[in-house]
Amino acid sequence: MTGTAAVVQPKIALRDIRKTFRWTAKGKEHVVPALGGVDFDIRPNEFLTVIGPSGCGKTTLLRILANLATPDTGSVLIDGQEVTKPGPERAMVFQAFGLFPWKTVLDNVTFPLTLRKMPEKEAKDRAREQLKRVGLEHFESSHPHQLSGGMQQRVGLARALVTEPDILLMDEPFGAIDAQTREFMQEELMKIWADTNKTVVFITHDLDEAVLLSDRILVLSRGPGTVRRVVDVDLPRPRWEYDVRSHATFATVRHDIWQLLRGDLQAQTEEEARGGH
Amino acid sequence: MATDVAVGRARRFKTIPAGPHLLAASVFFGSWELYGHLGNPLLLPPVSAVVAGLFEITFGGPLLPALFSSLQLLFVGFGTALLVGTLLGILIGRYQLANRVFGPFLNAMYATPDIALLPLILLWFGFGMTGRVVVVFLAAFFPIMINTYAGVRDAPRELLEVASSFGVDTEVGRLRRVILPAALPLIMAGYRLGIGRAVVGMAVAEVYLRLGGLGTLIVQYGAAFRTDLLIASILPLPLLGVGLTKVFERIENRFQYWRKL
Repeated sequence: MTGTAAVVQPKIALRDIRKTFRWTAKGKEHVVPALGGVDFDIRPNEFLTVIGPSGCGKTTLLRILANLATPDTGSVLIDGQEVTKPGPERAMVFQAFGLFPWKTVLDNVTFPLTLRKMPEKEAKDRAREQLKRVGLEHFESSHPHQLSGGMQQRVGLARALVTEPDILLMDEPFGAIDAQTREFMQEELMKIWADTNKTVVFITHDLDEAVLLSDRILVLSRGPGTVRRVVDVDLPRPRWEYDVRSHATFATVRHDIWQLLRGDLQAQTEEEARGGH
Repeated sequence: MATDVAVGRARRFKTIPAGPHLLAASVFFGSWELYGHLGNPLLLPPVSAVVAGLFEITFGGPLLPALFSSLQLLFVGFGTALLVGTLLGILIGRYQLANRVFGPFLNAMYATPDIALLPLILLWFGFGMTGRVVVVFLAAFFPIMINTYAGVRDAPRELLEVASSFGVDTEVGRLRRVILPAALPLIMAGYRLGIGRAVVGMAVAEVYLRLGGLGTLIVQYGAAFRTDLLIASILPLPLLGVGLTKVFERIENRFQYWRKL
C-alpha cells in the first residue's frame, strides 16, 4: 500500500449509503437511523477494519456490502459495477459461525459449491484443501456441535474461502471466541490473507484486534454512522514475526482511536442519562 | 396456534436391571390369573385363557385377516395425514396469510373431540372406506401439522441469512436448504405422535363407524360374552400402537444426532 492508491480503481466503493430502521410496536412508531451517508473506497487487497461505538451501524454496513440488506439510498460498487444481490466474488464469515448443525464439517464447506452445481468429487476435493488450510483436515466428518468455538469459526472461514472470492466480509468473527484462541485465529487469518491476497472488510469492536490486523481502520461515528476518520496502520508485515503489540506505532494508533471512541462513549452515556435515548 | 409441541425425547435412559420389571409383571399377571379362577370369569377370565384365546384366533382364526384389513385403513389414513399435515404445517408456519386464513379453523377443529364428529362423518362420507379413513386422518393430522408448523415457524434466521449470502434466493431453495432440515426433528416427533393416535383413530372408526378389521372381532366377541377372545382381540391395538411408535422413534432419533442435548 503506497501513497499512490488514489489512482487505483477501488475494489469496493460505497456511495452515500443511508439506512434508517423503522418499525411499529404496540402502536408506537420507532425510527432508528443507522447509517447517515457513508462514502468510502476500499482498496484492492487491503485489510480494512470497521470500528465504532455500539449502535453505529457497522454490522448494518457490512450487511449492505453483502447485499443482505438494502440501503435506503446510495449504492455499492464492486470493481466499478453496482451490485444488488449476493455474488460469488464476496463471501461472508458470521459472528455466530452460521454453520448448519445437521451437516458434517465437510458438507458445510462444500455447501457454497453444491449450490453452484459443482460435481460432488471436485467440491469435496476443494473443501478438503480449505479444511487443510485451517488445520481441520481430520475433522471433516464431525458435526459442528462437536467442535470448539474456534474450530467452528475455522470451518466458517474454510467455507468462505472455498469459492475463492476476491472479498471476505467478516462480521466480528472472533467476538464469540475465547481470548487465547482468538489470538491464534488472528494470526492464522493474517497468514491466510498474506497467502491469498484478498480484500478483507472486518467488523470489530476490539481496538487491539483492529490495530493488529488492519492496513486501515475506518472509524464510524455514533449512530447514525458516518465516516468519522480513516486511520492508516503503518506497522511492518508480517506482523506475526515480531511482538507487534509493543511496537511504538501500535500504541500511537491505538491511543488515537481510543480517544475518538471514548469521546463518543461519554456523549452517549450523557445522552442516556438525560433520557434522550 | 396451539402450543403443545412435542420435542424429541432423544435422551437415553440407562438400562435398568430386569429384576423390578419381572417382579411387577409376576404380581400383575399372578393376581389376574388368581382373580380369573376365584372371581367371575365372565368379567375377567384368567390370563391363561386369554393367551389360549389369542392362539385360537391367531392360527387359522380371524385375527390375521382382520389385522391386515385394519392395517390398510391405518396406513391410508396416516399416509394422508402425513402428507396433508406436513404441507399445511409448512404453509401456515411460513406464511402469515395462510396462518390467518387457516389458523382459527384448525384451532377450533383441534379443540373438538373426534368422537363428537363421528355422526357428521357418517353423514357426509357414509359407511364406506372414506369415512373410516377420515377418522384416522383426523386423529393423526393435528400432531403432525402442529409440530411441522412449529418447526417451520422457528426457522433459524441466521442460517437463512447464511444461505442467502451464498446465493440461495428462491423459496424452494430456502425450504430445501435450511427450513426443512432445521425443522426435521420436530416434524419427525410429530409423525411419532401421529402414528400412535392413528391406531386409536383406527379402532374408533372400526368399532363405532362401521364394523371392520379388529373392530369387528372386538364387537362380536363382546356381544357373545366371550371375554377371553374379546381381550385377545383388543391386545393387538396397544401392541400396534407401541410398536409403530417405537419404529418412528427410531427413525426420529436418526434425525436427532446433530442436536445439542
